[in-house]
Amino acid sequence: MERTVLLAHGGGGVQTSELIDSVFKAHFANPYFTADDAAVLPLGQERLAFSTDGFIVSPPFFPGGNIGKLSICGTVNDLACMGACPLWLTCAFVLEEGFPLADLERIAKSMAETAKEAGVTVVAGDTKVASKGQVDKVFITTSGIGRLASNVKTSGALAKDGDAILVTGDIGRHGAAILLAREEFGIEAEITSDCAPLWHLVQAIISKTTDIHVIRDATRGGVGTVLYEIAAQSQLGIAIREADLPVDPKVSGICRMLGLDPLYLACEGRLVIIAPEKHKAQLLETLRALPHGEGAACIGYVANTLKAGSVVVETAIGGKTLLPRPTGELLPRIC
Amino acid sequence: MQDDVLTQAKSLLKAYAGPPLKIMEVCGTHTHEIFRLGIRQLLPPSLRLISGPGCPVCVTPVSYIDEAIYLALEKDVLLTTFGDLLRVPGSKLSLAQARQKGAQVRMVYSPLDALAIAKQEKREVVFLSVGFETTVPGECLAIKAAEEEGIANFSLLCANKTMPNAYQALAGSADAFLYPGHVVAIAGTQCCEELVAKGISGVVAGFTATELLTALACIVHESAKQKPFFVNCYPRVVKASGNQAAQKLIADYMEACDSEWRGLGVIKGSGLTLKEPFQHRDARLRFAIPKQPGRANPHCRCGEVLKGNILPTACSVFGRACTPEHPIGACMVSSEGTCAAYFQYGQG
Amino acid sequence: MCVGLSAKVVKVDRGTALIDAQGARREISAELLSDLEPGDYVMVHAGIAIAKISATDTEESSQVLQGILNPNATSAQA
Repeated sequence: MERTVLLAHGGGGVQTSELIDSVFKAHFANPYFTADDAAVLPLGQERLAFSTDGFIVSPPFFPGGNIGKLSICGTVNDLACMGACPLWLTCAFVLEEGFPLADLERIAKSMAETAKEAGVTVVAGDTKVASKGQVDKVFITTSGIGRLASNVKTSGALAKDGDAILVTGDIGRHGAAILLAREEFGIEAEITSDCAPLWHLVQAIISKTTDIHVIRDATRGGVGTVLYEIAAQSQLGIAIREADLPVDPKVSGICRMLGLDPLYLACEGRLVIIAPEKHKAQLLETLRALPHGEGAACIGYVANTLKAGSVVVETAIGGKTLLPRPTGELLPRIC
Repeated sequence: MQDDVLTQAKSLLKAYAGPPLKIMEVCGTHTHEIFRLGIRQLLPPSLRLISGPGCPVCVTPVSYIDEAIYLALEKDVLLTTFGDLLRVPGSKLSLAQARQKGAQVRMVYSPLDALAIAKQEKREVVFLSVGFETTVPGECLAIKAAEEEGIANFSLLCANKTMPNAYQALAGSADAFLYPGHVVAIAGTQCCEELVAKGISGVVAGFTATELLTALACIVHESAKQKPFFVNCYPRVVKASGNQAAQKLIADYMEACDSEWRGLGVIKGSGLTLKEPFQHRDARLRFAIPKQPGRANPHCRCGEVLKGNILPTACSVFGRACTPEHPIGACMVSSEGTCAAYFQYGQG
Repeated sequence: MCVGLSAKVVKVDRGTALIDAQGARREISAELLSDLEPGDYVMVHAGIAIAKISATDTEESSQVLQGILNPNATSAQA
């Protein structure tokens, strides 16, 4: 059968990596091309981080945010994950013919507010309009440039045996909020997306110590997908403790209804931070004192005694099991 | 107290010193939870858990997916389905792949949601009616409401199955069954009690860690007496008489038929189909679906896996050509499938 | 097969019940259970309440274990 693009190719899991490797990497390969959130580029004495991200979200407005806020947070957070202070952003809109101008204005307003909160400036943009039905309401792509602190170097490949794994708050809330906003499954819950710009968290922790190995934002594919990526990049094993995973009870209620795992629901305002165990207490204290970091928790550790590339869950009853690998499109399990 | 009960159940299991025991969990959700909770590592090597045919996705034959795709692509029907079925391979396509070719497929949480979609649609809406005794009452409720409210454009493509005859077909495969808690919650315990007289042992189990470990401890304890047994280890949900309203509903709308189980072949009287007065809502008749031969991949050994005859790892395509991303057999599709569980949880 | 959801009944209106699982709510069919009241706990499958739940899994398991270990005791110790 002819090979075609599947929804699962966009799910952030194994199939997304396959697509990147087989199509894009083959043609774009160069020394700067990266699997991390942003490329790090030398410019004179400085190092810049450069990132781009496309946003399609249905519906464009959801509790806790909208596609505009998301598009600013996404690129800001990608830069922040490299330890880079986000400076300038550009944005490109593809609009569907007939999209209400009032909605577009709401989106622009919230982009401006979020940019202000994150301390970035939107310096250029582009607008295209597609005829009705060619796109779903509004798609946004943002690109951003940030400046790296001279002594910070983070990458999934740098995780070390014995490192502690932290998350900056409860997981899966954005994915759950979107699932509910789509109104497909008739579930209601007071859940707002965790969507937020997070440079201030990174800034705070690197001011305490630059001895931090990995910072990633757990977006599409959730924390589980990020952990598998880090395990693969570092060629080490990762263990997480089920009992220590911060999950909002409402999110876990939704997951129980639909047979989903919160580890695979998207976040848009959560970092996974991996650093030597000795810094754990200080990092948690620093994060918990800041907005969007209140729920920070240590969820596990990196270990060379585990199979390279694997993610193991230590279950609440004392069992050990592999975390199932991410498989792309999330499908409810019911019958 | 939870810790006390868990500790007690765990120590009963650890202390087991009898002959090797094969325990078959019949229910796919049990398979899934046993792997997810890491229960296998808590058992001594003499206790072996094998996974039976209790995942509706896994036992649904290839031809059923082909029938559904025929409806969507040839008859322009809007298909409604549980998400579980979306990636199951048919002879040529899965529903997910058919969607790229223009098939309209919508996921629902409940058969009643499928009916609600039909109310808003002018098109024909078909619900893919799979599942065991637990799921069937919801499907009957949808038919009942469609009749009462006169919603003409709604029908079912039935591949429903019932467990009693399957237990007998599997009788030699295990020393004891972990009976599926929610099937028995509907059907009642009578069938399990009758199986004792035929020499078949088992306990009905719930789905939490405490319930599963307790049920396994119970099997170990009762096995020592060396005579067939049945214990209800899920009494907070399972009553001896089952759910009689549900049983009546099934009897009102459905009747037994022979049914093909992927891998097990046709088991007499193990299926359910709509009764005569409701056959206008049987999609197979309504759209005169031609017989689909249904060609499974010849390398796939799901059938032997489902009977517990081989482990997934003994199949030549397992983990190589057949993975959760590119499944060849149904047991690799559903996260409740034995092959997917072995692959995902690294027992391979 | 048959993923079940344990949830609390918030409201009952003829054949329909509003259930709550840790703050996630959904309307489900209550047609298979005749005497549901707000505050009851039910097992839900595919949008249908299939059984009333009479205890927690810990209470239940404790009773089951006592039952097999001390079959002659008149009442199970919870």
